Amino acid sequence: MDRIWLNSYPDAAPAEARVRAYPSLVDLFEESCRRFAERPAFTHLDVTLTYAELERLSARFGACLQRRFGLGKGDRIAIMLPNLLQYPVALFGALRAGLVVVNVNPLYTARELAQQLADCRPSAVLVLENFAYTLQQALESVPVPHVVTTQVGDLFPPLKRWTVNLAVKRLKRMVPRWRIAGAVGFRDALAATPGLERARLGADDLAFLQYTGGTTGAPKGAMLSHGNMVANVEQTLAWVGGTLVAGEETVVSALPLYHVFALTANLLLFVRLGGNDILVSDARDIPRLIRTMKKSRFSAMTGVNTLFNALLDADGFDQVRRANRGALKLSVAGGMAVQRAVAERWQQAMGVPLVEGYGLTEASPNVCANRFDAKAFSGKLGLPLPSTEVSIMDKQGDAVRLGEVGEIWVRGPQVMRGYWNRPAETASVLTPDGWLKTGDLGWMDENGYVGFTERRKDMIVVSGFKAYPSEIEQVAMLHPGVKDAGAVGAPDERSGEAVVLFVVRADSGLTADAVREHCAKYLTGYKRPRRVEFRDSLPKTPLGKIFRRRLRDDVLGADG
Amino acid sequence: MADYPSRLVGERRLFDGRKVVIRPVRADDDLLEREFLSSGVSGESRYLRFHKWVGAPSDKLIHFLTDIDYERHMAFVCIHGEGDEAEVAGEARYVANSDGKSCEFGVVIADAWRKSGVAGLLMEALIRVARERGLTSMEGLVLRNNPPMLRFARALGFEVHSVPEDPITLRIVKTL
Repeated sequence: MDRIWLNSYPDAAPAEARVRAYPSLVDLFEESCRRFAERPAFTHLDVTLTYAELERLSARFGACLQRRFGLGKGDRIAIMLPNLLQYPVALFGALRAGLVVVNVNPLYTARELAQQLADCRPSAVLVLENFAYTLQQALESVPVPHVVTTQVGDLFPPLKRWTVNLAVKRLKRMVPRWRIAGAVGFRDALAATPGLERARLGADDLAFLQYTGGTTGAPKGAMLSHGNMVANVEQTLAWVGGTLVAGEETVVSALPLYHVFALTANLLLFVRLGGNDILVSDARDIPRLIRTMKKSRFSAMTGVNTLFNALLDADGFDQVRRANRGALKLSVAGGMAVQRAVAERWQQAMGVPLVEGYGLTEASPNVCANRFDAKAFSGKLGLPLPSTEVSIMDKQGDAVRLGEVGEIWVRGPQVMRGYWNRPAETASVLTPDGWLKTGDLGWMDENGYVGFTERRKDMIVVSGFKAYPSEIEQVAMLHPGVKDAGAVGAPDERSGEAVVLFVVRADSGLTADAVREHCAKYLTGYKRPRRVEFRDSLPKTPLGKIFRRRLRDDVLGADG
Repeated sequence: MADYPSRLVGERRLFDGRKVVIRPVRADDDLLEREFLSSGVSGESRYLRFHKWVGAPSDKLIHFLTDIDYERHMAFVCIHGEGDEAEVAGEARYVANSDGKSCEFGVVIADAWRKSGVAGLLMEALIRVARERGLTSMEGLVLRNNPPMLRFARALGFEVHSVPEDPITLRIVKTL
């Protein structure tokens, strides 16, 4: 099919991006460190690392991995951190040493963490002390040779470091007691003898195993190569290039960097641009986020619909708006559908459109974006990015006509190499000629805009995070009082969708609170049922297949 | 208890020449069936069969699957080996709908026996019996993320339809 979307591109956007601009992310990083050495790179709680400092610290962390732990190219390191200065230091240190980075949601429960570690078998883990007890539990079933722990303030200047670390540990009691034999402190790791031996990396070498859920809840690691990531950074840059100026931008990173969207759109893109990344470690703490935003003149921000909505409603947002007047150039929303009302309110308040994009872990992630000079909310996923092909296919794998609904397929240099150790699942989503079947249904209009209809996959998207019904059912059925369980997504004003769990009781005394409490032990926040409903049986076909659609109808019916 | 249709028992060969027995399931297959569903078949395959998470199969489920009337509910198992060595390599079954004309079918193959020819042998037996019983159509629900099943069904002459207001499930139908 012709790339009809090119006719709708802004003048500044090229058809092709320089997708091979760097052999690896390490080359990209090192060039920025040279070009922007004295510029601020990352800021957290008013402490800033310059590019030169980031270069120096990451070399030390990389040297520790190589010299002290004896790790090298192809070994995996799991990084289990919220947005802290330690994150880019460890990330670039590991990549420079040739390791493959596995991002881990720090809010995972021990069960979820153990599952991911068992799949990727890392040689090292870096964890924030607040979550070390979870790691300790997971290590009982999946041993990892090297563990590095860090405290929130580890990269702050001495006085601030002591006060912050003390406050977190003693005053706020945010660190459950833990004990991991042989664990090395982050500051100790940085004290290792210098002498990073820069790994030789090419486009085909893996940079990340980026985990995404599977239908039965067992997570799958998308193999994202250096080439994939460099390409997606360059594609995104080609799209926004006319808007942003190298060495002059400041971006607010409220979304977690362990998520692929913020990883590429905030961290990597703004390192490429020599920008300053304002790190927010917990975006759910809206008052603190507002304070941070008030203090920083920021020119770009990414988020999910839930976050923009919460900001617009927050006390003090008006002050943010006034303090930042004229500075914001770019605001991007991904991960979940953007509501028209939220997009329109944001544009009205901030003077720039809330640009909706579309992507998925398997595509590093960016595939489509709306125009940044859009005057009005399109309600669509946008146009395919430079050097990206999108085709809408029918069930037989033939392209449908414009305007007709089919599965969205994507081809381009950002498409993953496959799922880690899962050839069958890889084969079911990647075609021999390089197309990625997204599992999303959509259509393309005559101007090349892609619209989204619905997901083909059985999953629930909560504020941009994917929850799989089968995993929730599996956990629920671990409870002896639960005979059967079925999970579905219900529309939710705040998070887009929320999990509703239908339970058939084995023990008539079982309460909804008991089910929720049980789920909280094994499932991280977004996967937990918001509502628990009891039924005598679940709707099933004569052969015993669940009628999930009827459960969904039930939820909608109950909501009136 | 329903009479066991012994005439439907038959020995067959897989693609690689191994001998198997294709026969209607029996009530005393309960242990074999439990072994099949809990160990032979992965959690992923159980999910694709039941469209939800099924952990250890309950006694009730095993009873439902093995103690059948051979009329409204018909099921074939593929058995490899004998005595203590016997294992279920796969099963296919249908349950007739109340109209007496159509039925819902399902087929599950043990993970280790995929692509060995088991599914084809089971479906051949199942379709033959369904025809004998006067059923005129066979249908099934398949998750969209189960391309191997969709390919297999197409090869057997099933048509694939979408299910209104259900983006994740497809309905496959074959006229008998």
